[in-house]
Amino acid sequence: MKKTIQRRLLTGALVLMTALVTKPAHAVNYQALVDADVKKFQGYFRKEFPDVKFEDYGDGVYALDEDARKQWKEMEEFPPYELDVEAGKALFNKPFANGKSLASCFPNGGAVRGNYPYFDEKRKQVVTLEMAINECRVANGEKPYPGFKGDLAKVSAYMAYISRGQKIDVKVKSAAAYNAYMKGKAFFYGKRGQLNMSCSGCHMEYAGRHLRAEIMSPALGHTTHFPVFRSKWGEIGTLHKRYEGCNDNIGAKPFEEQSEEYRDLEFFQTIMSNGLKFNGPAARK
Amino acid sequence: MKKVLLLLSMVALMPSGAGVLAAPAAAAPSLIEQAEAARKEADALGFEWRDTSKLIKSANEALDKGQKEESDKLASLALLQSRAAIAQAKSTAKNWKMMIPK
Repeated sequence: MKKTIQRRLLTGALVLMTALVTKPAHAVNYQALVDADVKKFQGYFRKEFPDVKFEDYGDGVYALDEDARKQWKEMEEFPPYELDVEAGKALFNKPFANGKSLASCFPNGGAVRGNYPYFDEKRKQVVTLEMAINECRVANGEKPYPGFKGDLAKVSAYMAYISRGQKIDVKVKSAAAYNAYMKGKAFFYGKRGQLNMSCSGCHMEYAGRHLRAEIMSPALGHTTHFPVFRSKWGEIGTLHKRYEGCNDNIGAKPFEEQSEEYRDLEFFQTIMSNGLKFNGPAARK
Repeated sequence: MKKVLLLLSMVALMPSGAGVLAAPAAAAPSLIEQAEAARKEADALGFEWRDTSKLIKSANEALDKGQKEESDKLASLALLQSRAAIAQAKSTAKNWKMMIPK
């Protein structure tokens, strides 16, 4: 009897010791790593532009240049994206062949801009608003909208419009999400294309300075106001259309709309703007 | 005996019959083929440059028109671009963290 008790105690102790030895090291706090990056990133702009209020970064380049800001404010009185928002609303509520609509896929009447982008832990990928719009269409037997502009941008503009004021608060909760975040970060800081330029080169180090006639916009707040109606485009377009244009400008082959590369970049960039509010759509030169 | 040895050594040094009858060695890849292979490598790394495909297309068109010199010039440029893009991809993968502004 005594021996049996001793044996069981010994076995219990061994099991406990094995458990202690094989216990994984402290789980990595990915959110803390990301928060430290956000602090450094936003601190960079605070240092560069001490007179600019944090919330004004949602206005892009107009946060930095007073003259341009005045012109832009006037333009916003009769915003060129107004008709696109109306068209987007109609498309959002238009029934699919199966009787459902985009409105069937999104809660809160579609005022969900603040929920995107997010990392889908099941599918192990970043989901953007435009991706979710097209996935809804495909799930209901419709063709996806073609990328970058047109109906996709119009629906996105409507959803952004009714979501104005929602706070950006994108989380990174897992190793897979952190991996996507790091890919976006590497894209943002990495030099590419024939001109060997990076996103950060223009929109951090050169932010507020002239590149020919244009003042470079700050990267902080870049993702708050899309889709945008650009005078240069003469129409409304998505954030990925802007990425495409930037890549083309520096002599790099652009990626596809909603490619993994651009979704990861959007994920990283949106996280860097955590704390700002979504205020799209917007008008830009 | 000497004659036999000489004959044997000549036979040994001769190319084998199979070798003589075999098809000639594959031609070295053309400049266009080299440029296309390098472009694909740069693309797989996500660093292909904007104009490389267009240059290769133009090189093929020039070749079709019999403009070999022009074709080689364009293909060489495409090859150069692709090699630079591959080097850029490798350099960026290694050094991007150093590019974060302080």
